[in-house]
Amino acid sequence: MSLKSPAILTRRTLLRSAPLAALPSVARAASRFAPIAEQDLLVAFGHTSPVNDGGWTQMHDKAIRALKQHFPKMRSLYVESIPYSADATRLFRQFVAEGAQMVISTSTYGDFIKDVADQAPEVGFLECDGTNVSGNLGWYYITHWYASYVIGVAAARLSRNGRLGYVASFPTPSVIASANATLLGARSVNPQATMRVISINSWFDPQAAASAGAALIDSGCDFLCGIMDDPGYLRVAQERGVWAAMWNTDMRQFAPDAYVSSVVLDFENYYRETIAARLAGQWRPKGTFLTLGNGVDRDRWGARVPVAIQREADAVRDKMLAGWSPFTGPIKDSNGTIRVPAGQTMNDWDIYHWNWQVEGVSGLV
Amino acid sequence: MSRRIRLAVVPARRIFIGRLLALGFVFVVLAVVLAMLGLKLGMVARLVVTSTFGTKFGLEDLALYMTPLLMTGAAVWLGLRAGLWNIGAEGQFLAGATAATAIGLFLPASALVSLPLAALAGLLAGALWSAVPAAGRAWLGVSEIITTLLLNFIASFMVYYLVTGPWADRVTGAQVSSERLHVALPVIHGVVHWGGVLGLVIVVAMGLSLGRSRFGYELALSGSNPTAAHYAGVSVAPRIFVALLFSGALAGLGGMMEVLGTVHRLQGGLAHGYGYLGIVVALLARKSAFALIPAAFLMAVILNTGIVLQTLQVSASSVLAITGLLVFAIAVSDELAAYVKLETQK
Repeated sequence: MSLKSPAILTRRTLLRSAPLAALPSVARAASRFAPIAEQDLLVAFGHTSPVNDGGWTQMHDKAIRALKQHFPKMRSLYVESIPYSADATRLFRQFVAEGAQMVISTSTYGDFIKDVADQAPEVGFLECDGTNVSGNLGWYYITHWYASYVIGVAAARLSRNGRLGYVASFPTPSVIASANATLLGARSVNPQATMRVISINSWFDPQAAASAGAALIDSGCDFLCGIMDDPGYLRVAQERGVWAAMWNTDMRQFAPDAYVSSVVLDFENYYRETIAARLAGQWRPKGTFLTLGNGVDRDRWGARVPVAIQREADAVRDKMLAGWSPFTGPIKDSNGTIRVPAGQTMNDWDIYHWNWQVEGVSGLV
Repeated sequence: MSRRIRLAVVPARRIFIGRLLALGFVFVVLAVVLAMLGLKLGMVARLVVTSTFGTKFGLEDLALYMTPLLMTGAAVWLGLRAGLWNIGAEGQFLAGATAATAIGLFLPASALVSLPLAALAGLLAGALWSAVPAAGRAWLGVSEIITTLLLNFIASFMVYYLVTGPWADRVTGAQVSSERLHVALPVIHGVVHWGGVLGLVIVVAMGLSLGRSRFGYELALSGSNPTAAHYAGVSVAPRIFVALLFSGALAGLGGMMEVLGTVHRLQGGLAHGYGYLGIVVALLARKSAFALIPAAFLMAVILNTGIVLQTLQVSASSVLAITGLLVFAIAVSDELAAYVKLETQK
């Protein structure tokens, strides 16, 4: 599913100080991204953490490695652990200087990538978790909130007291959407369910994640979830005998009893289609959401999750695959104000920019 | 018969030769490590040289790296001139950037007004950030090494608080950043802004004025021998106070240039270790302010090399290792250069 430009254009008008370059005509874009031979293509990837982080970046790297089988003559390079600072700009400029025709950042870099894209109009840029679209810069992201909702349904059934604990990194829209969707899923079967959130200011900090998990269990939570690249709080859940759901990849080996499921990612198809389009001269900058079942899904259920609960949650998943959206009003925020009126449905773009916590969530924003 | 003696004043030629050898040593170690990592040295060297000096982007990045390094280098250098170790350039840099950001965010004025004001705010904030350590050192004898260093962490946390709290960007959702500033330093070419030129002017002016003025002489005197300075009728404490204040102001101005020229947002990773790298630049420059320019250039080349190495999957920490090795090698070579063989008659 791709996003139409009007929503983006309204956003762009908000960027008061950003230079508002006129969108180039289709003809210009076509000549700019002309077909290219496979052996001449250099694709550069910029990662936010090491490629063996066991989570987010590893899933991207896995997809990139798979690319090499489809395009054996294509050259690629990557840099890992790129800081969110002006050094990111330098690295992206270096990609351009080394002759890359496609630069793909697997995490958000905002201005740090946009400034480079604006100066290298002949190079195609893609930013995961980005929002900018220009003549040569697009973005892609996964609609992970549907998978989180499915896991939330199971969470409410598995939890004895309806108190969920969430280990968060930063209160960014992606994290807010993940926490909100999980609790909305839980509340669909247990309206009394609540969620307590602890932010640890990192995506990868096993020690802090474990401490946060233990603190959440101490405060009465018996189901842990979160958005971490490491299995830190999963191990705590195993030791303390509570349930846990994860992100990025299958982590059941770390806690065979506690493991419920995970929001699993698969970028392989998207990367393959993107590279194929660039080779054919068909690539155009746009925003792309990878949908449930096409890049993001819930993982195979944990061994101890009762089959009846698996079936109930999967029935919700099937409804979503058929087009139903659970993000339909009335949805209240944590102050009790109705933010999404009855009958209205939040589309993916709204959810992607979620900046308030739903009723029942505490400690996130 | 011969014995070795240590010279009190080492001729510049001996220092220069020693440093060339030290640089050569660093290159050899780097080459061995890269070869052990399985990289082809010729390819790495060609990539470093062509992408640093052979492309527009490389040259621009070099200039952008040099600008903050010149300023923090000048800040540390000025302190050393008065015998003081300003380890707090990083914090003063952030303080200056924060003050400049406040002007850029909240002052609805034209660039003609807000740019000089932002520069002034950067200077003042940097000076203010070093004022307490300066006063403590000048009148109470509190080690400025500890106080300036610890204030770095406070400055860093202050910036993180601002950019995730009251000043957090709510327009584009940029992480750990303020909104994009409404004012920017004018650009010379590409992304290179006038901050670098201003930095060069300041360094040259500092070298000329300190070398010829009474204040500069008294500063150096206070630094090299406070007791002697006291007996020569120089009141040392005010000199020390002012020197650290100016040192902080220079770093603060550097922060203003970085935020208004290069990054355009206040954000967590803004200082990038420039304050600490400024110590290296000042050490490389030794006693000459003019030498800050080639020193900052060398440091910028090393940082840029780090960028190139990262695209070859060499860790970003390699830059720190190279820098550390360079400082180590130069410290040893400077010391060795002081020793001469003295031939004595039987």
